[in-house]
Amino acid sequence: MDLDDIEHSFYNRQSLLFLFYFLGKIMSLIHIENLSKHFSILNRREGLGGAFRDLFSGDYRTVKAVDGISFDIDAGEIVGYIGPNGAGKSTTIKMMTGILKPSGGTIEVNGITPYANRIRQAQIMGVVFGQRTQLWWDLPVIESFKILKEIYKVDQKTFDEHMGLFNDLVDLKKLYTQQVRTLSLGQRMLCDITASFLHNPQVVFLDEPTIGLDISVKAKMRSVIKELNQVRNTTIILTTHDLGDVEALCQRIIIIDKGSVLYDGDIKKVNSLFGAYRTLKLQIDGYNDSTLQTLQDAFTQKFGPEHGIAIAATEEFWTDVTIDQARTPLADVLNFIMTTFTVSDVRIVEISMENVVRKVYDGALK
Amino acid sequence: MRKYLAIVRGTYMIGMIYRLGFLFTIAGNVIYLGVAYYLWKSIFKNSETLRGLTFDQTFLYVGLGSAIFILLKTYTDWFMNSEIRDGSIAMYLVKPVDIGTYFLATSFGSLLMNITIVSIPTILLLLFVFKVKFIIGIGLLLFPISLLIAFFISFFLDYFVGLVCFYSESVWGLSTTKDIIVTLLSGGLIPLQFFPTALQNILHWLPFQAIYHTPLTMITQPDQSVDVFLQMIFIQLVWAVLLFMATRLFYIQAIKTVRVAGG
Repeated sequence: MDLDDIEHSFYNRQSLLFLFYFLGKIMSLIHIENLSKHFSILNRREGLGGAFRDLFSGDYRTVKAVDGISFDIDAGEIVGYIGPNGAGKSTTIKMMTGILKPSGGTIEVNGITPYANRIRQAQIMGVVFGQRTQLWWDLPVIESFKILKEIYKVDQKTFDEHMGLFNDLVDLKKLYTQQVRTLSLGQRMLCDITASFLHNPQVVFLDEPTIGLDISVKAKMRSVIKELNQVRNTTIILTTHDLGDVEALCQRIIIIDKGSVLYDGDIKKVNSLFGAYRTLKLQIDGYNDSTLQTLQDAFTQKFGPEHGIAIAATEEFWTDVTIDQARTPLADVLNFIMTTFTVSDVRIVEISMENVVRKVYDGALK
Repeated sequence: MRKYLAIVRGTYMIGMIYRLGFLFTIAGNVIYLGVAYYLWKSIFKNSETLRGLTFDQTFLYVGLGSAIFILLKTYTDWFMNSEIRDGSIAMYLVKPVDIGTYFLATSFGSLLMNITIVSIPTILLLLFVFKVKFIIGIGLLLFPISLLIAFFISFFLDYFVGLVCFYSESVWGLSTTKDIIVTLLSGGLIPLQFFPTALQNILHWLPFQAIYHTPLTMITQPDQSVDVFLQMIFIQLVWAVLLFMATRLFYIQAIKTVRVAGG
């Protein structure tokens, strides 16, 4: 090889690197544009007679589960994909994983269209549906991993490395010989999550991974997900109802409701919505129709008109006081209430997903 | 290929874990064989042969028929029914596996399991307790091949019924009907020779006889010419291929419906 060649190949590599860099800039891992999914659902009638007539009914209505959403997700991101029940989260995930075919719009994961290349797509992604398991119910845990190893064509060396890593993270070894159906929900979810990372996928979809888990297992789960994301640079799409998950894991969140994107951006901005807000649930003695107004007046008198406290009666005998801590500290409000009213029970809760969505609707992020 | 072998192995292991259940299957089979023995004994009380079969041939046909019945019962349709109904089918759709081949692999795993735990004891029972005499002939050699093709045909029928679940939420009735039709019209219960000639002629053109009657004929009447057997195997192959294509087309259509209409 003479000098010319060396120089030549050097330039080639430079330009290639530049090309990759450039492509990386314009091509994101997941590209979704104007995606929609409409279902036609039979309008069912009531009762036995109705059921009979439904057999011959052509009375369909269209439900727009996903209605024109667009976003891009880059490699290595952890994105929280959140919204209330029925917002269209699962439908979007099902389209991204290639189970459902979109009614309109484009969707590309790593340059491939999922529904048209289901098997190729499956090879580069991992999926955890919190309500289901990908493990073999009747077999010992390790057997499921061995089967997945073959299904994803993972070689022995990589497999051993991965199992070693999982073992360090979640102490998997002691569960190896246990039948999957005898695992606790938390253990099973940990196994499911590690299994979804087994073949080193580019993207992992976690659909409600912490559903039904207690606080300590949740914390463990979050640290495992975070660790795997950092070690492998795996892109993670997380849907959850638990805002704690989102707070702990995501830099970016996408909020959807009724099939459309409500917010897509940095979590810090949204953090102010659920990070700063706390709801006090109060059971006030001698509760009557005018209690809410009395509270409202008392707050205005004490903290001024800009107190940032919302009051609502939710359940019987319970009054919800939602406090914007940026304006009025929780401790002050609690102190004030305890000294002014006779309260028989108090609970402090974090703001719910539904409330965040409502606040976004109300223009809190504008 | 290796991935499907891993699935075969997994299914086989599940069978091993639930080995207790097989004890009951074997016990049930012993009782059935006993009943069949005395039933056919009394039918043959006054004659040496009926419809060209001796008692030994008939009992071998019926006894092995029951063994094959257990062998081919891999519950693919029941399994698919529950997976589709509770939505776990999604877990297969997100894996890099072909759904049809996946279920074929699980079915084959169960088949191997059934061979080990149920069929071998049944054959031993037939040989040493009921003292059935096998006739030696070329058919015995071709029997395993014929049985393997019979497995494929039986699987495709099960799989076809399983795919119906994508449309109708429960196929309990359809599955049961299919089981009864297959066992009765295939010779699984009564040798086809005992059916009226007109019905035999019709059955000849249906796939069911290729599941039980063909392999069982090879065992019970193995002393025929090679050509006869090869022709029988050819017909089996034709059915296997036809049903394979039918299930493929049906699958493509069914999965399209699921993807458009939602799961």
